[in-house]
Amino acid sequence: MDMKNISLAKLREALDQRKLSARESTEFYLKRIKEYDADLECYITVTEEKALEQADKAQKRIDEGKASALTGIPMAIKDNICTEGILTTCSSKMLEDFVPPYNATVMQKLEDENIVMLGKVSLDEFAMGGSTQTSAFKKTKNPYDKSRVPGGSSGGSASAVGADLCAAALGSDTGGSIRQPSSFCGVVGLKPTYSRVSRYGLVAFASSLDQIGPLARSSRDCAVILNSICGFDMHDGTSSRREVPDFTAKIGQNIKGLKIALPKEFYEEGIDDEVRKCVLKAADDLKAMGTTIVPCSMPSLKFAIPAYYLISSAEACSNLSRYDGIKYGHRSTVGESYEDLIKNSRSEGFGDEVKRRILLGNYALSSGYYDAYYGKAMALKQLIRKEYNDIFEQCDVVLTPTAPTTAYKVHENISDPVKMYQADICTVTVNIAGLPAVSTPCGYDKQGLPIGMSIIGKQFDEQTVIQVADAYEASFERALPKL
Amino acid sequence: MDLEMVKYLAELGKLKFTDEELEKVGEDMTSIIELMDKVKEIDVVYDPYLDNKNIFLNDLREDKNAKSLDTQKLLSNAKNQQNCFVVPKVVE
Repeated sequence: MDMKNISLAKLREALDQRKLSARESTEFYLKRIKEYDADLECYITVTEEKALEQADKAQKRIDEGKASALTGIPMAIKDNICTEGILTTCSSKMLEDFVPPYNATVMQKLEDENIVMLGKVSLDEFAMGGSTQTSAFKKTKNPYDKSRVPGGSSGGSASAVGADLCAAALGSDTGGSIRQPSSFCGVVGLKPTYSRVSRYGLVAFASSLDQIGPLARSSRDCAVILNSICGFDMHDGTSSRREVPDFTAKIGQNIKGLKIALPKEFYEEGIDDEVRKCVLKAADDLKAMGTTIVPCSMPSLKFAIPAYYLISSAEACSNLSRYDGIKYGHRSTVGESYEDLIKNSRSEGFGDEVKRRILLGNYALSSGYYDAYYGKAMALKQLIRKEYNDIFEQCDVVLTPTAPTTAYKVHENISDPVKMYQADICTVTVNIAGLPAVSTPCGYDKQGLPIGMSIIGKQFDEQTVIQVADAYEASFERALPKL
Repeated sequence: MDLEMVKYLAELGKLKFTDEELEKVGEDMTSIIELMDKVKEIDVVYDPYLDNKNIFLNDLREDKNAKSLDTQKLLSNAKNQQNCFVVPKVVE
């Protein structure tokens, strides 16, 4: 059977009806990884042997008639999610040989369903970046044009889904790290509401913003994966105790009557013309399906980038203080004193971008600067939340571009941190406000590069976000990359 | 950003830079702080009471006996170990 670009629903059906064995589907992706990953550089670790073992176990469960939604589904996992006994590098020299002694909660949940893990995929070092080019190991490329970036930080996950090197993937999103690479690689990425999915075992970057989520070929597929990974976890004090709905429940329901907000600031200066036109055309298409488009405003957007970078870097410099070369991670062999050991281990282990964030975070938290920077950023966080709440009093979802441009060339932006930070303008407010959002493809630019749009929902209303994205996807035809 | 400030921040972050690196990092940090300075253009004040309504930070679990991770497994990632974590001598 034709496995190319197969949906999870079709794959499930094929596995359950024995048109395909779990081993065959696993081998299909392993073969593609061998064929294409030398160029794309998605995978840091391919766990071939374990994948085949898991496939056989999954097959046994399928044969017993006990398969659940993800049993036997071959997935790629972002390399900042702890996998027991399997290298988890975070794309950093600091964790080059780190083998976690435990599974992240999401990983355990997936293993309990007997998924097949194909391997661990690349990211920007410690998930800090939007290009996957700050990785110390695999600088992943875009499947639509290998001279371009896949976005980031979940660039390995997005490129692997886009290039059919896995059926679906997990990523993490602190300021757009699931949605922006999904947009660049022409796939669908879902960032759940903050606290919906346990962060236990996710290598911490900015704890008030980090959230794990799925990347797949459709919102339906993302909903199925979210069903499996979400829920309260005693190991994550911020995880929500709210009852978890079936995220596929509203799929297929008519979107007629829904109100879609278009905050004008997301469509102004700094957004590429082709991207703007494409997302506005998608808004027209949604209107034709019976929704109402509501023009509105989010004046605080112009402060979102500094607010995000101040908060996330402040949290990062604290989270990263655990890397001292003693319990785990890179340990320097230079220097004699305790102080030398820590400083040398950190200076040798961290890359340039991570160091910049540590410096920025320390600056924002220093006495004399705290109120002016960190305090102000926290106030802006409240303002951004308020502006979203005001919009959601009138509307059901918000529609924005996912990124100001399509995928850029590999060496662009990388030496200019300010330019790199500003490129996050369309995604960071969602993390600041803790909201759920889906990025789904809505067109291609003149060079054939994918354009993504984001559908943002109220806190804990992933169902409506998925419903709207799915309705759009039903009439949108994806142009697949030619590898 | 002047080099003294970069050195101070590096000390806080337990990072070392060569003189050459310091220059480059200083330049990068200057342009990054310029971008951050945008927040000074708006007059807003953080309300500490507002956040507590939405965040579940005090959602503490009950104390319960549970199995801990295996000691050997936890030590396995340390580069220098003799059945414990080994650090350079810190007392005379």
